[in-house]
Amino acid sequence: MTSELRIPDPLELEAAEEGRLRAVAGLPPLKRGGGEYAGFESVGLPDRPPQTEREREVYTLDEGEMLVNMGPQHPSTHGVMRLVIKVRGEVVIDIDPVLGYLHRGIEKLCENATYTTVMTYVDPMDYLSAMHNEHAPAIAFEKLFGIKAPPRAEYIRALVVELNRVFSHGLMMGFLALDMGGLTPILYSFINRDDVVDMLSAISGQRMLFNFFRVGGVNFDTNDEFMSRLGTWRAGVLKTIEMSERILTDNEIFRGRTVGMGVLSGAQAIALGVTGPSLRASGVPFDVRKAHPYSIYPELEFDVITQAGGDVYSRYLQRVAELKQSIHLIDQIVDKMPHGPVQAQVPGIIRPRPGRAYAAVESPRGLYSVYAISDGGPNPYRFRMRDPSFVSLQALPKLMPGRLIADTMAVMASFDPVMGGVDK
Amino acid sequence: MDLLFGILRFLLATTLLLLMTIPTAFVVIQMELKVIAQMQLRYGPNRVGPWGMFQSTIHGFKFLAKEDHIPDQADRATFTLAPWMVYMAAAMSMLVMPFAPGAIAADFNIGIVYFFAVIGLSVVGLLIAGWASYNKYSLLGGLRSAAQMVSYEIPLTLSVVGVVVLGGTLNFRELIAWQQLHGWMLIWQPVGLGIFYIASLAEINRTPFDMVEADSELVAGPFTEYSGMRFGFFFFAEYVALFIMSGVMTALFFGGWLAPWPFPAQLEGFGGTLYGLLWFFLKSYMFVFVAVWLRATLPRVRVDQLMGMAWKVLLPLAMLNLLVTAGAVLVFNL
Repeated sequence: MTSELRIPDPLELEAAEEGRLRAVAGLPPLKRGGGEYAGFESVGLPDRPPQTEREREVYTLDEGEMLVNMGPQHPSTHGVMRLVIKVRGEVVIDIDPVLGYLHRGIEKLCENATYTTVMTYVDPMDYLSAMHNEHAPAIAFEKLFGIKAPPRAEYIRALVVELNRVFSHGLMMGFLALDMGGLTPILYSFINRDDVVDMLSAISGQRMLFNFFRVGGVNFDTNDEFMSRLGTWRAGVLKTIEMSERILTDNEIFRGRTVGMGVLSGAQAIALGVTGPSLRASGVPFDVRKAHPYSIYPELEFDVITQAGGDVYSRYLQRVAELKQSIHLIDQIVDKMPHGPVQAQVPGIIRPRPGRAYAAVESPRGLYSVYAISDGGPNPYRFRMRDPSFVSLQALPKLMPGRLIADTMAVMASFDPVMGGVDK
Repeated sequence: MDLLFGILRFLLATTLLLLMTIPTAFVVIQMELKVIAQMQLRYGPNRVGPWGMFQSTIHGFKFLAKEDHIPDQADRATFTLAPWMVYMAAAMSMLVMPFAPGAIAADFNIGIVYFFAVIGLSVVGLLIAGWASYNKYSLLGGLRSAAQMVSYEIPLTLSVVGVVVLGGTLNFRELIAWQQLHGWMLIWQPVGLGIFYIASLAEINRTPFDMVEADSELVAGPFTEYSGMRFGFFFFAEYVALFIMSGVMTALFFGGWLAPWPFPAQLEGFGGTLYGLLWFFLKSYMFVFVAVWLRATLPRVRVDQLMGMAWKVLLPLAMLNLLVTAGAVLVFNL
């Protein structure tokens, strides 16, 4: 008897599935052009149907198009990001971010750690805002466990978190300039960052992955070195920021390349889930610190800054404005900081009652949130993190088609993605 | 006997010039390292020799020590030819460089034409480097370089035509003599100077027009696949070209070897040659400094803005400048 059994071609299945979805969505069926396997003989490609989606993409390139692989070892992809860019000449037709080169399985690691040690694992996620990474789980675990951090601990938390935001936004200014060929602002930003991390290392003992937050408080109280460094830094920080700003903000070339570039409308940004400065630069006044107040932010005076443009330049201006706002917040926090303990009484091994808790903070890149489920054991049953730069990157393929390769980097840098956070 | 002497002199001069490119490149690179470092509030190289003076020399030797790799799919013949072409374009254009009275390797009557003809050759080298590397970034970089350098050559040359019309000569030495009589060309041709400076930055791929390399976009442009001494030649050529463009700007607009006002413009004899050399190098390195300064300050323009600037701004301006200059020469019988 003859067997009718045939292993289906996965690509055929995929095409059928795509057709079904389009029919459900009420879209016309996809036209698969006659040039499906164009250039087969001339380039000497193997005489078989494409085995992967990428291979098919290569075969179906039109005359004059090519795929450029930007990354993961490209000089300016902010870590190990890979962009497969389809270009015609220098004009980008399509852009396909490929992620996962820095995946370390941090969520899974956290699920195998006790509530106290989770703080050490979340640090290297978004390594430019390690303090925010710790802040969200700390709040979530406190909700789970039903304790509150003492007021002084909350103030110290807000202080270090805002300090972290200052250097993160400062670096964004530098990286944006660097991706456009401006060499100097990044150095000025790093001078500022060095001052801040020296300060944070005085209080936490580490320069990059601070491991400073604890469930129910913070690791150390402020000390003299921290406070004196804070004073010195505060006296000069506006000057260093102004140095970068003078090079960039009114620079004709910088404006020529950023104004009107990569315009993301407010509605589009909301639909894509973009949060943080990038969302506010599109004119949507959403700030987690105001919308869902946490920590001591209700006691501080600040406005939600927005920009009208939604382009790369607005996102840059938004960062600069928020940087100055953070310095203003730091002044208030230092003014109002109460005395008292910095750590609530918690047992050595924390076993919360079964339940779930969600906590969101405003990280320099947007809404950073943690969703933790406890089954009553010493480690979280499920630990889920929403990283804003992962979500922001979705906007890139929407904004790039029709632009030039040179703009890819500018638009990407304007979202300020950190691959440690994207790949977790 | 005269012929023999001429041949000997030519050989000596070319050898000297070829040798001169090496310290020139070292000095310019060192200057870039140190000056940019100061502008960026860093120390810059300070380990090799006093004040890190030999850092660029070490860079040069490092290139010699590195593996010379040719990609499998690259076109070997053209791949190896490209660095040579780019370097020779820079080195050959030094032949007519008016360093000082009596220190011009070849003082012939169409020096300016020769210079712009030869310096334009480097685009061929960059283009074949981009094509031969079998790399998409190289290809994009090579094509960019072709588009950029060919378009900027037109305003560059047109801005110099104004100078030539005014000076009435194509010889660098005579042009400098004219400037001694009538004042530096910078007074007569300020628009031409502006166009020349912008276009010359684009011609030698300096920031803000370093589209060809554009390390944040095209990795290293046409040089992506080059390593070892081949890359070193590109690197050298780039910095030598920076010096040469500064030197030519000095000769065309800033009186060449002539000293500025409070000093005697020229001296006689061998001392005069040294005196001229001093002023020529001082002025040239001042413009190298300006280029380095620009690099520390400005971001890169985009490729379409770059082309737009060449064709929509500089070219009409250069045409207008030439028209006005030529008209003035006719009317006032200059």
